[in-house]
Amino acid sequence: MTSRSEFLAGARDIAPMLIGTMPFGFVAGVAAISAGMSALEGMALSMFSFSGIAQLIVSQLIAANSPLIVTIAAAFVVSLRFVMYSAAMSPHLAHLDRRWRAALSFLMTDQSFALTVKHYGEAGDKSQRHWHFLGSALTLYVSWQAAVLIGIILGTNVPAAWSLDFAVVLSFIAILVPVVRTRANLAAALVAAAIALAAAGLPYRLALVVASIAGIAAGLGAEALHRRA
Amino acid sequence: MSTWLAIAGVSIVVFLLRASFILFADPHGFPPLFRRALAYVPAAVLAAIVAPGLLMPAGAIDVSLANPRWIAGLVAIAAAALLRHPLGALCVGLPALWLLQWTIG
Repeated sequence: MTSRSEFLAGARDIAPMLIGTMPFGFVAGVAAISAGMSALEGMALSMFSFSGIAQLIVSQLIAANSPLIVTIAAAFVVSLRFVMYSAAMSPHLAHLDRRWRAALSFLMTDQSFALTVKHYGEAGDKSQRHWHFLGSALTLYVSWQAAVLIGIILGTNVPAAWSLDFAVVLSFIAILVPVVRTRANLAAALVAAAIALAAAGLPYRLALVVASIAGIAAGLGAEALHRRA
Repeated sequence: MSTWLAIAGVSIVVFLLRASFILFADPHGFPPLFRRALAYVPAAVLAAIVAPGLLMPAGAIDVSLANPRWIAGLVAIAAAALLRHPLGALCVGLPALWLLQWTIG
């Protein structure tokens, strides 16, 4: 396939996922305004970080007047999954120059990662598949910023009865459920959930950090038990 | 000012994590335990965000009928597991919440 047809195929393949990401982007825009950020600050956060989960965490922590270091630490923890994605993508992109690799790193999300890994797994000529990655990631970037902008413009005028913030939890459930099909991942999720509830009283949303570490330890423990059995 | 510092700091951290292997690291350089631990990051982090969102929307654990979110959440988890489609949780969970709010409220 040519670079152009790969790029267009990437844009086409990501399209169904936009039905899930655009309401999420809208919620992220509303959350930034609700947290007291200006429209410019909310848009800058979205354009430079391009991560729904990180944007929501930052909005919540800014609203709660958390110290800068805690805000950055929380964003670090919720973004650790990108290290795993980065590890999985790196062999496919190793032949590209630094500019390409930096651009694709910046644009990588849960959705474009999942799509690209699947595409690289298919048979055929792989030399132009980074254009497929770029096509899907750039389509997601543009549509995401549009959705965030609409959320920022409408801001606090969205009726609370729509419960659009629940769309965020639902979009996490959509990613979580397929992951917990193995026993060790299920253990990680259940322990993390329990600790998150038990430690909810901790300040600065530290419960998220503590619960994540406990969940990861539980996953490793379950894996070790399973291996010994 | 501190908002702009947070935006800059978070954006740099998120980029460095995304670029970690693609741009900087040798994929074989990390200790094996660290690489195995990375596999459980999505399940742990997502569950730690989802559980309070369903069970304690107002700051305290509430599994009564006055909190429709945990019921709608269970419906969404079932929908995601059975439909095996990325939109299953959203397209079933949000209408479920609206219906519960309308019925209870």
